[in-house]
Amino acid sequence: MDLTLKSILEGIIFVFGEEGISLKQLSDALSIEEEHIKELLNEMIIDYRDENHGFELVCANDLYKFISKADIHDYVQRIISLTKSRQLSQSALETLAIIAYKQPITRTEIEEIRGVGCDMMLKKLQAQDLVREVGRSESAGRPILYEVTEEFLDLFKLMSLNELPNLPTYQEESSDNQLFE
Amino acid sequence: MSNFNVTLDQFSGPLDLMLHLIKDKKLDLFDLQVDVLIDQYILFLDSVENKLEIATEYLYELAALVEYKSKKCLPVDPKPLEVNDYEEDTKDQLVRRLIEYQQFKDISQLLNERFMLRQKQFEKPMEKQLLDIADDENIRFVHADQNDLLKAMQKCLLRFNYTHPSQVKFTKTEMSIDDRSEQMIIMISNLKEPFSFEDMIQDVEDRSLLIVTFLAILELNRRDILEFWVENTEVYFKRGKLYGFDA
Repeated sequence: MDLTLKSILEGIIFVFGEEGISLKQLSDALSIEEEHIKELLNEMIIDYRDENHGFELVCANDLYKFISKADIHDYVQRIISLTKSRQLSQSALETLAIIAYKQPITRTEIEEIRGVGCDMMLKKLQAQDLVREVGRSESAGRPILYEVTEEFLDLFKLMSLNELPNLPTYQEESSDNQLFE
Repeated sequence: MSNFNVTLDQFSGPLDLMLHLIKDKKLDLFDLQVDVLIDQYILFLDSVENKLEIATEYLYELAALVEYKSKKCLPVDPKPLEVNDYEEDTKDQLVRRLIEYQQFKDISQLLNERFMLRQKQFEKPMEKQLLDIADDENIRFVHADQNDLLKAMQKCLLRFNYTHPSQVKFTKTEMSIDDRSEQMIIMISNLKEPFSFEDMIQDVEDRSLLIVTFLAILELNRRDILEFWVENTEVYFKRGKLYGFDA
């Protein structure tokens, strides 16, 4: 039985599980150029979104893997009770958002936007592998620059930072409605 | 007086608090009445006075607001151009910061929705079987190199540091016998002879100082600075013959 290319890709991605597998590895294994594999994978991402599949194909920072669909969660919960899922505090979310949109960014720059110190928060986010240090700024004191990690992309289901939604803009005329409804 | 039924914990910073007040008082962010905002801000901080230890960040912003207001309270300068410029700047700056902060506050809600959704999606670990039967040279398939190992190790250490904050121990610095002797030379100069053991330990509060004091008494006695004798099991002291001579 000859499997189609997509089936082979599906099988390989299944085996590698949460580790994920990169485009290059797939391309090497199949001896097919990355361009073509990428095309197939993009098609597969769309294929899996339809209602005939209980899991979907995701890609975070060039690593492809399968994850179950969010709708499955409720059914799983009927079989085994699930404890409250992981939470991110408002402060953590804001800090992450600022870094993701402005990276690489220094601690002072983050604090300027948030108006509060975030030394401890940065340590926490680093410990959770959501943020990492990426060199130093050339400005006075050569402060450390921060950026978000692959783990961040995965956690927010982003293929890359390009997928981040645009920052909202507020118009003066309808400021009340837009800002605070 | 308005009543605040909120606490500082609910806000993730002074800008967050200001946005809440603006919304609460239906102020226009683009034509901000900073005075009203300041009054509300101060009122709020007053109401959470007992939380001062976490309010420090808020006090910093308050200082800037008060500076702005105090400048506005000053009589109008005959050459008002500069003053007005400055005021506009401060206000514009505040509005700009508030808007920028609002942007990230809004977007973080959006990100949180994505996060919550992703939390409901599960993945499977890589087949353990596969790792067991893989040749050592194939282990590279688990795309990891020395850098990954290093990173993993650093992550471990970072997490360890985070979960095991460095311990702070408070230890008493015990006074040396020499220091205590010097203290006691000064102390006994004020005592009426003969003085008792109790007189000499009146400032002692813990056992270690008691012991040091006792040793200092023996030392001073050895140096003939302090003399003692016993009467009916009670110890009496007086200044020794070398008191005042021994440096």
